[in-house]
Amino acid sequence: MVERLDTIFAALADPTRRAMLASLSGGERSIGELAAPHAMSFAGASKHVKALERAGLVERRKAGRQQLCRLQAEPLREAELWLKQWEKFWTERLDVLDALLKAEKERAE
Amino acid sequence: MTDPVILKVSRDFDASPEALFDAWLDPAMAGKFLFATPDGEVVKVEIDARVGGRALIVDRRASGDAHHYLQYEVIDRPHRLVFLFRADPAEEGQWTRVSLEIVPSGTGSTLTLTHEMDPQWAAYEDQTRKGWTMILESLARAIAND
Repeated sequence: MVERLDTIFAALADPTRRAMLASLSGGERSIGELAAPHAMSFAGASKHVKALERAGLVERRKAGRQQLCRLQAEPLREAELWLKQWEKFWTERLDVLDALLKAEKERAE
Repeated sequence: MTDPVILKVSRDFDASPEALFDAWLDPAMAGKFLFATPDGEVVKVEIDARVGGRALIVDRRASGDAHHYLQYEVIDRPHRLVFLFRADPAEEGQWTRVSLEIVPSGTGSTLTLTHEMDPQWAAYEDQTRKGWTMILESLARAIAND
């Protein structure tokens, strides 16, 4: 789980790969279609797709002579859950801080 | 090119920007809210509140002492505080960055906290966070069983 999150965040850390995921959220795309908006070679795009595949974010299948990529959203939910936990952590810290500051203010009044 | 993972939390406080800002650098206050867990005990709070200065907060838990290290990058009272942060088991050099922006609002202030994490170290923080989640879950269970 921990190593997996590492791979997911590493995959998401790249703006090109995020754009590819955004494109895939609209449906299946070939590697050529994914490469097109980025002025990128097939090999370059393929490298990015591989990073997304390793993170479990993309599944690839052969369709005739083409390779089609499809978005796998489950790992995104894992990453979101992890971020939510941090959000919860800071929200709880700030709750305690709020209570402390209120108590201080009341003491001073 | 990699971007950090960024988490933002915003919150209104019924306190002046100065009081809100000072709480983060005052050992007595920080020890009560910053890394205190419900069933842990904060046994050490050392804060060297200077740019480049470090802080150490140790929370004693059933699972052992949890060390939290901070290093201050920006101290601009009462508007902005930026510190590097790492917690066990992250190692020296594996910092994340926490920025606080404080603005007056009405009779109080609004705090926006931004936590930037290098994806490379997300895993370490995850382990730490799991410890916290477990502690909170066990607390929730204890309350539910009451």
